[in-house]
Amino acid sequence: MIWDSAHAGAVAGVNKTGASIYWNAPTREDDVEAQIALVDRVVSGNYQGLVLAPDQALSLISPVLRALSHGIPTVIISSPLPIPAGGNLSYILNDDEEGGRLAAKRAAALMNGHGTVAILGINPDIAGIMIRARAFEQFMAQNEPGIRIVEKHMGTFNAAHEQQVAEDTLRANPNLDLIVALVGSTIDGSVAALETTAGNRSVRIIGFDAFGGLSFHQGAGLDSVIQQDTRSMAEQAVELIHARRMGQPVPSLVHIRPKLLTRENIDTAEVRQMTSSDWTLGHWAWSSAQ
Amino acid sequence: MRLPPLPRRILVGVSVVVLLALGAIALLAYLHSPNRGLPYRDSFAQGAAREWKALGGTWELVHGVMRNDSDERGAKLLAGSPYWRNYSIEADVNLLGSSGDAGLIIRSSDEEEGVNAYSGYYAGVRTRDNGLVLGRADHGWMEVYKQSPAAGGIRPFQWYHLKLLAYDCHIVAAVAPPSTAASTLLGIDDRNCIQSGRIGLRSYSAGGIWRNVVVKSATREDLAEMLRPMGTERQAESRNAAPEGDETGREQMLSKRPGDSDRIPVALSIESLRLGPFAKPERATIRGVVNLATPMLFVQDSTGGVYIPGPNAPLLKVGDEVEVTGEAHPGDFSTTMEHATVKVLWARTPMPPVSVTASQASTGKFDAEFVEVQGHLASKEYGPENTLVLNLDEGPQSFRAILNRGRGDYLFSTLKPGSSLRLRGICVVDPAFTKNLTPFVLLLRSNEDLQVLAGPPWWSTGHVIALIIASLLIALVINFAYHRIAHWRLQGVLEERQRLAHEMHDTLAQSFAGIGFQLQAIRNRLPGEDTAVLQQLDLASDLVRHSHEEARRSIATLRPESLESEDILSALDRCARRMVEGGSVHVISEKEGDQRPIPLRIADTLYRIGQEAIANAVRHAQPTILTIRLKYGQNLACLHIEDNGGGFEKGNGLLGFGIRGMRRRAQSISAKFHIESKVGAGTLIEVAAPLPPRITVANAPRLVWRYLREHWIDARHSKQADSYSYRG
Repeated sequence: MIWDSAHAGAVAGVNKTGASIYWNAPTREDDVEAQIALVDRVVSGNYQGLVLAPDQALSLISPVLRALSHGIPTVIISSPLPIPAGGNLSYILNDDEEGGRLAAKRAAALMNGHGTVAILGINPDIAGIMIRARAFEQFMAQNEPGIRIVEKHMGTFNAAHEQQVAEDTLRANPNLDLIVALVGSTIDGSVAALETTAGNRSVRIIGFDAFGGLSFHQGAGLDSVIQQDTRSMAEQAVELIHARRMGQPVPSLVHIRPKLLTRENIDTAEVRQMTSSDWTLGHWAWSSAQ
Repeated sequence: MRLPPLPRRILVGVSVVVLLALGAIALLAYLHSPNRGLPYRDSFAQGAAREWKALGGTWELVHGVMRNDSDERGAKLLAGSPYWRNYSIEADVNLLGSSGDAGLIIRSSDEEEGVNAYSGYYAGVRTRDNGLVLGRADHGWMEVYKQSPAAGGIRPFQWYHLKLLAYDCHIVAAVAPPSTAASTLLGIDDRNCIQSGRIGLRSYSAGGIWRNVVVKSATREDLAEMLRPMGTERQAESRNAAPEGDETGREQMLSKRPGDSDRIPVALSIESLRLGPFAKPERATIRGVVNLATPMLFVQDSTGGVYIPGPNAPLLKVGDEVEVTGEAHPGDFSTTMEHATVKVLWARTPMPPVSVTASQASTGKFDAEFVEVQGHLASKEYGPENTLVLNLDEGPQSFRAILNRGRGDYLFSTLKPGSSLRLRGICVVDPAFTKNLTPFVLLLRSNEDLQVLAGPPWWSTGHVIALIIASLLIALVINFAYHRIAHWRLQGVLEERQRLAHEMHDTLAQSFAGIGFQLQAIRNRLPGEDTAVLQQLDLASDLVRHSHEEARRSIATLRPESLESEDILSALDRCARRMVEGGSVHVISEKEGDQRPIPLRIADTLYRIGQEAIANAVRHAQPTILTIRLKYGQNLACLHIEDNGGGFEKGNGLLGFGIRGMRRRAQSISAKFHIESKVGAGTLIEVAAPLPPRITVANAPRLVWRYLREHWIDARHSKQADSYSYRG
């Protein structure tokens, strides 16, 4: 969902600026080599800008530096790289610290200041995931001494693997109150684990960045999702590149606050706009065959 | 008898030769001098050790001392002259292990990497039997003598002053332990001793540290002095080199073993530290092997690596199994243990590196681990804090390798950008090292962690340009030579023709003239009434005259006109006027266009064709006007020979007028040959010969391209023609 929304945002930005885009991504979230190849394609092609949501914090350093050395304005969205902003490089990032705090506050409210938490899906490849995990822990340590983090696990983008990890966690911690799923595949795995593991129905899940459509009604487990606004990021990124090419001043670093999605606000117009993945608006006229 | 004085030039020459020979002998004697470079004192304290060559081990300058962390059996570091004979070497030696020895080599030669792969003498301190060992290596080991020091024994992590002297075939070694009153002395007389060689530092099954290496020439008095009991001086030095607290601590730690009652009970895996609390660091204990001891400490177990800044640790070496207790700060890709205490459990073989690609290392999964990576050197530079920095590329990734100066300096200077390198080192993704310019940095432990797999590829841009220029020059030279040879050949033909013309003039023509005179004389003497004989004589005279004219014409044809000194038109005009001399034919010569030089081969061919055409016109057409016209085009010379004579019908008669020969000549210079004639309306012969283009800077590339294309097309046509004929 988050990257379809980003596509929709990029198309919206293109519609405003009159530019055209080449949109592509690896078929797997963790296929870093494929993403490097895409960046190199942009470097060797006749493109006037690059918008990148990096799959890996370190491996994309060299390709992005190559793009910058070729004078290609580059905007990194969602999660940061270790390269400092400036020159042709700008960041439009998800405010993951805010996301971590949002999750912590939600967890504290759910557990009334007492309980146990498992953090699943830790993945250092995406710097933003580590930032949100640290922010969550910091908030808990400072404000909620009655809540203990009893389990932490590394995560992958493989939902089946995440389900296995979640099931093991539930078995090892029969009194677990909350799972914090740091990435979409971990949300899917944890929801599936709750459905298959008897006796853990009271465990709640707070997730980040759901990949698929959000359904809070499938099971009682999924409480909320902190969703990054990739639509706005991509739209602003396209506009930023256009502005840079026009010689206008542009910001080097922008943080966009994520949104806490719950069953109460999932159907509001604001959330529907943010999570919309209709990138064909105004471009694809079609009709039913009937 | 007095010898004549030698010429001055010979004297000077001989003197120069003698001086050069003497200079060469003096240089040779200097290079082979047994004292060249002596006395020698190391520059370890200044961070320089370029003159030392390592064979095995991980030799590196650390804090002003030379250090080998490797447990290899027989790692050597060599320096000095192979011609040093009588000299002594002394140094402070510190043994980094409880089961090996470390010491000095003297008179070393024929060295290789290997256990005892050298010829020379070695003296060292050994912990295993608390002894000073002295022996001779000849790609094998002969331990001739050993003796325990008087008291205290040999202990690791203590400084000892070791001295080794060789004079003739007397080899003496002495060691001054830190806590004894007198030095221990060993001496041997080796009847078939090794006469000369260089110096070395060596360790066996343990690492070592060396400092204050001094080499001096030795005399018999030095030998006698050393053989006397060595007391007070060494004692003082030993006291100055009192053991450091950390080293004592390490020794005590080494004496303990896992399972002792005061051990911290639970050691975690290094990987598990990464899932420790982010908000509040907890103390943890891990066990692992030291992969890098200086300037930073990295420890690794089977699950990952950990960085330990500023540890409270004894003297550590690569390969030590250690137990680390400290505050674990989980990072994104590895953990840092701060305020850590390090205990040495035991010494073991250093951990082998994990071979990974640069792309794999760029993921951060090997952060703080010992890895082996290949890459192509993009550039090199001097880094901060006395380091050498290599910038490398491999596939889509770039990375850097950092090496300490000192011994790395020489290797660094020899590395060429573009070389393929294999590097072993600690993979670090910390921005403090990467400066956010590369995904990771390799911290190399020593020179031996860098291996050049292949030099830079020959096909660099510069080399390709040089090759193209050289090819063009060679092609030009060949082309020039070809045309010169063709020119010489043509000149030879012309000279031969001239010789033939002279021969014919001097023999055949003269004979015809003589016969004519004789016949005329006979006719004048005969009476007038013998008409039949007179008629026969007239006929014979006519035949002789006709033959004489033919001979003269042939001579005129063969005699080359000086085409190099005059143009074709003038030569043909002169030729025509000579042929019609005495007749009524009016010769007109015209020139059109800008005259330009015509190559000799083309000029000669045009001249021969023109000459034949003029001869045909004069001989067969009875013209009143003969016009010779030469037109110069841009790349063309066009010759017209026109007469207003009788002309002829096209048909078989064409071949009879030498037209076939003219056409063949025209073909030989790729010229177009055209003939036009009608009975009663005269004859026009036209030859258009292509001329080589004028080469200027502007048109040179185009001409070269056209030349190559035409030759390629010609080659292809000839190949096709060959294949057709083959199919036949």
